[in-house]
Amino acid sequence: MNNIVLSVKDLNVWYNDFQAVKGISIDYPEKSISAIIGPSGCGKSTFLRCLNRIHEEVPGARAEGEILLKGRNILGSKIDPVQVRRSIGMVFQKPNPFPSMSILENVTLGVRLLGVRDKSKLMQVAEQCLRKAALWDEVKDKLSQLGTSLSGGQQQRLCIARALAIDPPVLLMDEPTSALDPIASLKIENLMSDLKKDYTVIVVTHNMQQAARVADYTSFFVLGELIEHGACSDIFTNPKEQKTEDYITGKFG
Amino acid sequence: MINENESFIEESTKFNNLVDSNCTKSKVFNFSYQLQDKINYYLIKSFACLVILLLIGLVAMLIYSALPAMEEFGLGFAFGDDWNPVEDEFGALPFLFGTLITSFLALMLATPVSVGVALFINEVLSKKLAAVVSLFVEMIAAIPSIVFGLWGVFYLAPFVKETLTPVLKSSLGFLPFFQGASFGIGILTASLILALMIIPTITSICRIVFKTVPTLQKEAALALGSTRFEMIKIALLRPSFSGIMGAIVLGLGRALGETMAVAMVIGNSPSISASLFSPAATMASVIANEYTEADSDLHLSALCYVGFLLFIVTFTINGLARFIVWNQSKKVGG
Ligand SMILES: Nc1ncnc2c1ncn2[C@@H]1O[C@H](COP(=O)(O)OP(=O)(O)O)[C@@H](O)[C@H]1O
Ligand SMILES: [Mg+2]
Repeated sequence: MNNIVLSVKDLNVWYNDFQAVKGISIDYPEKSISAIIGPSGCGKSTFLRCLNRIHEEVPGARAEGEILLKGRNILGSKIDPVQVRRSIGMVFQKPNPFPSMSILENVTLGVRLLGVRDKSKLMQVAEQCLRKAALWDEVKDKLSQLGTSLSGGQQQRLCIARALAIDPPVLLMDEPTSALDPIASLKIENLMSDLKKDYTVIVVTHNMQQAARVADYTSFFVLGELIEHGACSDIFTNPKEQKTEDYITGKFG
Repeated sequence: MINENESFIEESTKFNNLVDSNCTKSKVFNFSYQLQDKINYYLIKSFACLVILLLIGLVAMLIYSALPAMEEFGLGFAFGDDWNPVEDEFGALPFLFGTLITSFLALMLATPVSVGVALFINEVLSKKLAAVVSLFVEMIAAIPSIVFGLWGVFYLAPFVKETLTPVLKSSLGFLPFFQGASFGIGILTASLILALMIIPTITSICRIVFKTVPTLQKEAALALGSTRFEMIKIALLRPSFSGIMGAIVLGLGRALGETMAVAMVIGNSPSISASLFSPAATMASVIANEYTEADSDLHLSALCYVGFLLFIVTFTINGLARFIVWNQSKKVGG
């Protein structure tokens, strides 16, 4: 069994009085891809957003429970969310490069925030991350163009490269392909499989085939509750719960 | 079969007739709709033309009234630094200087404050508090400028004289801007009042500009491990540059033309001095002050010439700033 990098214990999340996530516990092994599936509104994004504490940006949102990153509870009040986010990167549903920044500036922002100023070092980071995100060949001649000048799929890969720049051991992705066409989606899926070598990836998806294709583990949420969690091979071929079976066979959802 | 077909044709011609007669009916309507559209079009067009004509007429009247002074002093009027109604000697440079320096200083003071207040209201305060605080800020804009003037004379001027001047002199007294005696009224006081008056304008435009930045951009910055402050710099201020410039332009527009409050606290002396403590006069304030007591026709005409210059200055600066905004937004693409 792999090491557990991230361990969620009894996580409850509220938006004011509304409980969106109910007592979820999941362990994430190192260098694996875990998918979260479930009908829309079941709390997938809410759950994911707690993992890097970006949920705190929503007024009225409140999380209780434990999220252990290598044994340390990142929900602890003494922990700085900035520190957490440097270890746990995030890619959003809609590609969101900074519109006022060039491709190069977008990719290197994370390291520049860490205080790196050296041009050649920044260039090196940019090339490395853009290569990892399978974007280097497409943009190497136009690094000074605006990030928003790229196509949707390229923008999303740029955002992945940007997240990788500070080399976070864990990468969160919230429906990273839902705004993209099938070909661009496929590229991102292939990319995820590559990223598994170095990173622990947790991906929310509304697309079960995608989960089945790329993930090692899958969790199935309904109405804020974890119905089933297990290896993909089990969940998709031999689910334990009736609800899971109904969902993956398309009977509800 | 054939019969049926014929009857069908008959039916359809009947139907066509029906449609035709309907069409002729609706053509009458169509005509009247067109007429209505035309009337509306010309009505709106004539209003638009009226506004433009009004502007042209205004400028033409201004030039006409200023003609005697224009003939007397020519373009040199704008560079002459002697304004002496007794000798019928007129040059507008002191007022040009006064207007530009007070507006510039006011912008320097008001912009950082306004941007800060806008960020504070949008990013720090809860929704309810934000509404209350922004209401208060916007109410500053509703204060009549004469009230600002009164407040300036009775409170701000003594404050500048007794508190601000000594502090500035002891800390920055080596600079030429902070030398000489202060009587309370003068460039500094006028600039402070102007700054206060344009803060609501700049603040509310900045708030609108910051609101247009999607949450997604802010979260993108935070997710990369930026602090709140860095997030504001990266995701809010940087893409908002052209918007902030636009806000400054609107503030500047107000500062350049502001008359009453400035006239009450600037000292109304047509002199040019590097010291911010010294009294001065702006183009607007000199017109307001001297218009009623202008004895000679040349004096009156010279005042109109000053008005014309003020118009040119506001026009140029607005155009320039608009160009900057346009240029910048083209670069940023948003
Ligand atoms: N900002 C918010 N304020 C209040 N309720 C929210 C907010 N965001 C999400 N919710 C609610 O929380 C539940 C889970 O939402 P979400 O996590 O976005 O679902 P999913 O990503 O699975 O579609 C939904 O019922 C949604 O209405
Ligand atoms: Mg979602």
